[in-house]
Amino acid sequence: MNAIKKYFFVAWIAMRSNLAYFSEVSGRLIFLGVVLFIFLRLWQVTFGENGAKTLGGLTLAQMLWYLTVTEAIILSSPPVARLVDQDVRTGALSVQLTRPLYYPFFCLFTNLGERFLRFFLNLAVGSVIAYIFVGPINFRADGLALFLLSVPLAFTLDFSVNFLIGLGAFWLEDTAGLTLIYSRILMIFGGMLIPIELFPEWLQPAVKWLPFSSVVYGPAHLFVKPDLAEFALLLLRQTSALLVIGIAVYWVFQTAMRRVFVNGG
Amino acid sequence: MYKKLQSYFRLAGAYTVVGFKANLEYRGAFLSQMIAMFLNDSVWLVFWIIFFTRFPILKGWNVNDVITLWAVSAAGFGMAHACFGNAISLAGLITRGQLDNWLIYPRALLPHLLLGKVTATEWGDILFGYSAYLLLVHPSLSDFALFVFLTFAVAVLFLGFSILSGSLAFWLGNAENVCDQWRFAMITFSTYPASLFDGQAKLFLYTIIPAGFCSYFPVQALKENSLLYASYSMLGALAVFVLGVVAFYIGLRRYESGNMLEMRS
Repeated sequence: MNAIKKYFFVAWIAMRSNLAYFSEVSGRLIFLGVVLFIFLRLWQVTFGENGAKTLGGLTLAQMLWYLTVTEAIILSSPPVARLVDQDVRTGALSVQLTRPLYYPFFCLFTNLGERFLRFFLNLAVGSVIAYIFVGPINFRADGLALFLLSVPLAFTLDFSVNFLIGLGAFWLEDTAGLTLIYSRILMIFGGMLIPIELFPEWLQPAVKWLPFSSVVYGPAHLFVKPDLAEFALLLLRQTSALLVIGIAVYWVFQTAMRRVFVNGG
Repeated sequence: MYKKLQSYFRLAGAYTVVGFKANLEYRGAFLSQMIAMFLNDSVWLVFWIIFFTRFPILKGWNVNDVITLWAVSAAGFGMAHACFGNAISLAGLITRGQLDNWLIYPRALLPHLLLGKVTATEWGDILFGYSAYLLLVHPSLSDFALFVFLTFAVAVLFLGFSILSGSLAFWLGNAENVCDQWRFAMITFSTYPASLFDGQAKLFLYTIIPAGFCSYFPVQALKENSLLYASYSMLGALAVFVLGVVAFYIGLRRYESGNMLEMRS
């Protein structure tokens, strides 16, 4: 029990230390405001020109709330790959390894603590902006519960891919490029900019089964259109993707550890 | 005057060559960052291609117009910051008292300071802009010549805007966050069709966030083969540039030297 408890403390400490950077919120307000205003105009014009009440099954208000959640998810991501990359390059990893904590779990729980705080702040700020722009949508308590249940696995999945990229520092000169590529793939195939229902029909099934949609589209869609069957399917996709990537992380980490040489005095 | 100008061009050439060589010292990192930026821009094009596949016309804009917009914005932004890499970090340099390094040289401060850094990622932007325009829009020779002119205009615009926003640090002190947000708004508005915005938002696009000189005039100039629109774009860019330079030199009077000991790399 204590073994698990210490990781929750790690998450709690990461969350608390991030509270010190509250001034970041003001910056985020402008950032989200600009993005959501542009999205609002884009979809207002698109709905207007097509004379449509719904597009991809979403009304204009639902579309903006969907985009608010996707933005909150994407913007809450801490720079995991960069931090792991730094630990490897600077040798700080050797200090981390002496702690009575398993390094991947230490990083995971630090990430989750930090990310949940950022996410809820983003969501709060984004919700105020979305409310001002389009008003409320039909929220249901059970829908919000399904959404909240889908978020931890989404964050863990995203962390795992980023962690894997960060471990690339053992072999690559620079992992910044890979991180950028992953984040952009997540943006487009995760459905951050456009719901997957509006992708070309032939592409939709593949995109839905890719792990990226389980990080962004899945939770955001549940937020605006809660559905128990969709939740179950999302859970299946998240766990199967996490299993595959988790095995890859374990294998790469074990291989990388064989390359660690500590010269100390 | 002519000799002085010639000397500055030689200095610019020398800095670019040295900066480029310094980047190539880490060839793998340089290439991966450049490719990553190229892919980053490409992902946005994928989004727009998906969008226009579903909705072919958006307030008079089609997919080719958006490709042109992205090509001209990315190439212009890249040209502004590839060789004048310090323009982006101007606010930080002022805040940390790092202008001291540059004040001791017998060269005009601003151009010398701006030239001090060559950024790898921006070469990816330039490569993306030109290849996207040539490969996806298939321009005639005259269109391409106009495109080249417009990328220079947009480069002047972004450079001027970076100087202007960075100079805020002379008055606000730690202005990095504000400066980043302002520049982010400028970049974001520069990459969405200008036709989405009307009324007060349009007024903003030609004043506080002068993205209209990038997102409207260049695209219209290439659409209608109009030199008039092209000249509007260049005039607007020059106005922003002059404003930036004036703000920098007025602000410089308020600059307080730092006492930090460091080596200029």
